[in-house]
Amino acid sequence: MTLPKPVNVRRGMLVALLALWELVPGTGLIPELFLPSLSSTLTVLVKDWNIYLAAMWVTLYEVALAMVIACGGGIAAGALVGGVAHLRNLLLPVFSSLYAVPIVILYPIFTAWFGIGPESKIAFAGIYAFFPVMLSTVAGIRTIEPQFILAARSMGATLSQLITRVIIPASLPTVFAGLRLGGALAIIGVVVSEMLTAAAGIGYLVTLNRTILDSPRVFAALLMILTLSIAYYVLSRALERRMVVWQSVGRAPKADRSTSSVGVPVTAAA
Amino acid sequence: MQHMANLNIPVAEREPAGAAHAKAAIEISDLSHVYAGAQGGVPALEDISMRVGSGRFVVIVGPSGCGKTSLLMMMAGLRAQSQGEIFCHGAPIRAPDPRRVGVIFQEASLFPWLSALDNIEFPLSLRGDPKDERRRRAEKMLELVGLGGFGERYPHELSGGMKQRVSIARGLVQDPPVLLMDEPFAALDEQTRMTMGHELLRIWSLTSKTVVFITHSLTEAVYLADEVLVMSARPGRIIDRIAIPLPRPRNYEMMATDVFGQLRERIWQQIRSDA
Repeated sequence: MTLPKPVNVRRGMLVALLALWELVPGTGLIPELFLPSLSSTLTVLVKDWNIYLAAMWVTLYEVALAMVIACGGGIAAGALVGGVAHLRNLLLPVFSSLYAVPIVILYPIFTAWFGIGPESKIAFAGIYAFFPVMLSTVAGIRTIEPQFILAARSMGATLSQLITRVIIPASLPTVFAGLRLGGALAIIGVVVSEMLTAAAGIGYLVTLNRTILDSPRVFAALLMILTLSIAYYVLSRALERRMVVWQSVGRAPKADRSTSSVGVPVTAAA
Repeated sequence: MQHMANLNIPVAEREPAGAAHAKAAIEISDLSHVYAGAQGGVPALEDISMRVGSGRFVVIVGPSGCGKTSLLMMMAGLRAQSQGEIFCHGAPIRAPDPRRVGVIFQEASLFPWLSALDNIEFPLSLRGDPKDERRRRAEKMLELVGLGGFGERYPHELSGGMKQRVSIARGLVQDPPVLLMDEPFAALDEQTRMTMGHELLRIWSLTSKTVVFITHSLTEAVYLADEVLVMSARPGRIIDRIAIPLPRPRNYEMMATDVFGQLRERIWQQIRSDA
C-alpha cells in the first residue's frame, strides 16, 4: 500500500474544509452570525462585487506603494548598513531593537500626520515591512562566502564589478527571503490599518460590516484578503524561482549518476 | 639508523639549466609581516626569502597557523605585507594582477549562480573579452581539465573533484605564468585527492606554468614538488628547503620507494623538531 501524494492530501483537506464551511452552519451547531455558510458568503460577494472590487483596488494600491517603500528603502538601507562597517556598528543594534517594537503603536500618530486616507496606510505598512527587508539584506551581504570576494579580487574585479557581479547575486537568495516576508507584512500592515481607521479598502469593509453584524459580508471581505495573500505568495515564489535558479534546483548533487567518486566523468572514460 | 646513513638527498639551491639567467618567477627577499593586535603587533611572518624558478613546482608545508596562506595571499597581491617586496618576473606585486598570477582556492570559491563554463569565463568577462572568444577559451580549458561536456552544469551538480577541476580551469583561463594554489584538494577524500594531484601534474606538464602550492599533506608535497619549503610555527620562517629528485612523470608506484619515504620523513622531522 502506498501513501497518497502530499499534494493530493492537501487538495483533499481544502475541499473538506470548504465542505464543512458550507454544511456546518446549516446544521444549527454554529449560529449563522458566527459562521455564515460558504454559499451565503459567495452570494453577497457576487451581489456586491463592484463594492468589493473597488475596495480591493484601494487596498492593492496601498500595498503596492508600501512594498515599494519597504523593498526599495529596505534594500538600500540594508546594503549600506551591511556593506559599510562603520554604519553597521553604529546602526545595526538600533535597527535590530526597533524590529522588536510593535510598530502598530505608530499608526494613531500616522493618522494624525497623514489623515485617514491611503497615505497613513502606506506609511505604516511601508515601515512595518521595511525592517525584515533591511535586516535580511544585511544578513545576505554579511553571509557572503569570503572566498567569493577573494577569488573575484584575484581575478582582477574592480569595486563596481565586485558589487554587481558577486555581492548582488551572492546575497540574492537571502534578500529574496526578506522580500517575501516584507511583502506579506505590507499586506498585513495595510489591512490592519484599514481595519483600525479608514474610509476605504478591503479592511475597512471588514470593520464596517462587523459593526452592523453583517457576517456574510465580513466573511466575503476575508475571502478577498485570503485570495490576495495566496496570489502574492504564488507570484513571489514564481519570481524567486526564476531569479535564483541555482538555489531552487535542489542541493542534492545530481552529478552522481554520471560521475565516479574521484571526479572523473565516467562517460569520458568509457 | 642504518638507512638514515645512506640517505643522500641534495639540498636544493639548484635550478634547472639556464634558469639562472632568466628572472625568477617569484622572488621574495626579507619579507616580514606583523598583525596589528590588541597588545601591540603579533609577528606572523619573519625574514622570508625565497626564489621560485620559472616553470618549477614548489610546495610549501608547515603547521597550521604558520602564515603560509598569508604568504600566498601576499604573492597574489590580495594582502599587503609589513616589510619586504615580492617580485614576479622582475616586477613587484602590490595588487592582484590576473595576467601574471592566477589563484586557486581551497573550495567553495566557484560561484554557485554560474554554470561551470560561465565560472571559467568569469575572469575573461571582467576584462571585457568578446563573448565568443570567451566561450572558445573556456571550452578549451574545460577539455584540458577533463570535463568536456560538463560546461552547462552548476557547481552543486558537480562532485568535489570536478569542482576543483573547474577551479583549476578558471585559474588557467587567463593564462598567467604563475599559479598559486592554497590547499586546493584539502576538502577532498584521500583517493580523490591523489587522483587530483596526479591530474594537476598532467595539466602542469602541458602548460609549463610556475606553481606555488600549499598543503598539509606531506605525501602530496613529495609527490607533486620539485622542491618543498618547510615553514616553522608562528612567526613563520622558512626552516628547510628540500629538493625532490624523483623523476618525472611521477607515478603512484614511487610512493612505495625508499627515497619517497625518506624525503617524507625528513620533512616530518623538520616540522616536528620545530614544534
